[in-house]
Amino acid sequence: MISQFCKWLDATPLSQTFQSLVWFVPTVQTIHILSIAVVMTSVVLVAGKLIGLSGRAQTLAAMLSSALPWVWWALAALLTTGLLLIIAEPGRELLNNAFRAKMLLVAGLAGILRFVQVRLRHDADYWNHRRLAAGGLGVASLLLAVTIIVAGRWIAYI
Amino acid sequence: MSLRDLCQRLQDLSFPTDIRESDWLFPSIETVHVLALVLVVGSILMVDLRLLGIANRARSVRSITAERLPLTWAAFAVAAIAGALLFSSKALTYYDDLPFRVKMACLLLAGLNMTWFHAFTFRHVAGWDHGRPPAAARIAGGISLALWIVIVGAGRWVGFTT
Repeated sequence: MISQFCKWLDATPLSQTFQSLVWFVPTVQTIHILSIAVVMTSVVLVAGKLIGLSGRAQTLAAMLSSALPWVWWALAALLTTGLLLIIAEPGRELLNNAFRAKMLLVAGLAGILRFVQVRLRHDADYWNHRRLAAGGLGVASLLLAVTIIVAGRWIAYI
Repeated sequence: MSLRDLCQRLQDLSFPTDIRESDWLFPSIETVHVLALVLVVGSILMVDLRLLGIANRARSVRSITAERLPLTWAAFAVAAIAGALLFSSKALTYYDDLPFRVKMACLLLAGLNMTWFHAFTFRHVAGWDHGRPPAAARIAGGISLALWIVIVGAGRWVGFTT
């Protein structure tokens, strides 16, 4: 069924237009990579804070309130550019196991960040009282972020 | 011996040949390169946006640079090593590739811009640490931002031309 959808999408005028423009995929991928840079760097800093590696210059609540809006905007940019890339090359993404794994991992990472954010909204000291759980979520976020980038790169090779 | 001859000799060495001919070695090194470069670009981006007065205006410039720059340098070292290994595997191909040359030229310019900023403008940061950065800082941030966007774009194009 997915294969048939890919064939249908590939034949649409929009997909054909994107495919005919030599600059389209590299340009959209560049925006995709820049958005990944924003998310990844923010996740590394937030995870460092959760794990307790970062300094005391900022509280976790302050860091999250400055970092997370960037993450959500960057994720929106990633979804948009991702959709454009799927339209341009449907089979390359939708039929690829690395891509499918990547999407599950992105959902997982977004879920963790949202969970951390929501708990802080109710209680600014929530994670200060739960250092072990905070550290675990920090490590999980880092591992997910790294695995997402690995999966994204390996779409081209699998 | 010309630069092209040197490139040919480099890619004919044992390890670069292994990288080029392996199914997994080149993709793995490339993945490390991408992981490192997104950290470089992401950390530099936030510093540049602060210098431009666009983001994190409530925080001092020094606190943001102190937080981000160690990550930038560590990631840059990893990206440079991985990049050198990738280059060695197809040195002649990359040497002749226009997007690759553009990327290298922009990296050099970004380095010069950063050196100038830290040598001159940043020395007086105490005077503008919490307020709107002076024109020299904003220009340095803008040039850095533009160069790194081109570096990422040119780097992506290399994958399509080599």
